[in-house]
Amino acid sequence: MGLLNFTREPVPEAVSADMHNLNQLSAQQFSALTELLFRFLTEPKEVERFLTQLSDFATMNKISLGPLKNIVKSILLVPNGALKRNLSSEQVRADFIALGLSEEKASYFAEQWKVNSPTLTRLAVGQTLMINQLIDMEWKFGVTAGSSELEKVGSIFLQLKLVVKKGSQLENVYVELTLPQFYSFLHEMERVKTSLESFS
Amino acid sequence: MAALRDGDFAALQILLKAPSKDAVRQLCQECFSSPPAALGPLAQRACPGLAVSAEEAEQLVSALHNLTRHVVYRGLTAPEDILHLFPENFHQNLKNLLTKIILENISSWRNEAQASQISLPRLVDMDWRVDIKTSSDSIVRMAVPTCLLQLKIQEDAALCGNNPVVSALTVELSKETLDTMLEGLGRIRDQLSAVANK
Repeated sequence: MGLLNFTREPVPEAVSADMHNLNQLSAQQFSALTELLFRFLTEPKEVERFLTQLSDFATMNKISLGPLKNIVKSILLVPNGALKRNLSSEQVRADFIALGLSEEKASYFAEQWKVNSPTLTRLAVGQTLMINQLIDMEWKFGVTAGSSELEKVGSIFLQLKLVVKKGSQLENVYVELTLPQFYSFLHEMERVKTSLESFS
Repeated sequence: MAALRDGDFAALQILLKAPSKDAVRQLCQECFSSPPAALGPLAQRACPGLAVSAEEAEQLVSALHNLTRHVVYRGLTAPEDILHLFPENFHQNLKNLLTKIILENISSWRNEAQASQISLPRLVDMDWRVDIKTSSDSIVRMAVPTCLLQLKIQEDAALCGNNPVVSALTVELSKETLDTMLEGLGRIRDQLSAVANK
C-alpha cells in the first residue's frame, strides 16, 4: 500500500479484509450504506438512530451485524481523516482504491464526499474550541426618573445581559451602559464586523 | 436623603465662627460628599478649626449635609429658590455666602450624585481584537476569523466606596454571533431615535 492521504499512521490489518467484503455488496446496497453513513456524519449526535438503521440494513441484506459494524468502522476512518486534512474528492477516491475498494465504489463514495463536505467542514469548525463563548445577549433600556439623591433625573440607561459559556456552564453577566457608551460600543462592533468580513 | 429639620438652620449659624470663607466652602463640599455614616468623623476633624464643642460640630456638619443634599435633590438652580429656604431671621451675609457656595457647586454635586447612583455593574472600558484560527484538533488547516471582546466592568460604586472593583470579562464571538448582536444593537439604536424624536 502506498502513502495514504487521510492518515500518516499505519492502517489496521482488518481494513483490507473489510474493503474486500465491501466489494461483495451490490451497487445498490453500497449506495444505501453510504447514504446511511453520511447521514450519521452530518448528524453525529444521532448515535441511536444510526445504530438502528445499521441493524435494519443488516437484517434486510442478510448480513451479520457484527462484521457490518467492523466494516463501517473501517470505512469511517477515511472521511474522518479527510475532514481533518481538508482532502479533495480525488484524494478520497485514491485512498479508498489504495485500501482495496473497487474503482466504481471508490468513485461513488468520493462523489458523496464532495456533496457533503461543506456541511461536514462547517460542523468541524463549529466544534473548534471557543473561550468564554457569547451565547446570547438580552437588553433593556429605560429612563431613570428619580433617585434617593435626585428628585428628577431623566437620564437614559441601557442594561445588557450577556450569557457566556464558561467551560460547560452558562454564566450571566449584567452590565449597564450610558448612552454615549452605547454609541461607542455600537461603533466598535461595526468596526469588528468590517474586520471579520475582510478576513472571510 | 435627609430632609431639612428645624434645628438645622440654628446649627448653621455656627459657621459664623469659621476662620475664612474658604473654610466654609471646604466644609460645604466635604459635608455634601460625605455619606451619613461618615459625618461623625468629619465633625471631629472640623471641631478644632471652628473652636466649638464636639456636639455643636456634629450638629453643624449634619445640617450642612442636609442643606446641600436637599438643594441637589430638589434640583434648585435659581438663587431665589435657595435663599427662600432660609428662615427670616437668618444672618444675612452668611445666607448669601452659603447660597453663593451652593450655586458654585450645584452642577458638580449633581454629577456626583448621578455617578454614585445605584446601578448594575457599569461598563468602564472595552477592547477587541480579531484573530484568525488556522488550525485545531478537529481541522488541521483552516482560516476562520473570530473576535475576542474584553469588557471592563466596575461593580456598583456605592458598594465599593473608594476602592471600586473592576473585573475584566473576555468573550469570544463568531461572525454569526456578532451579526446577531449587531442586529440587536441596531434595534436599540432605532428605538432610541424614536424616543428622542417624540
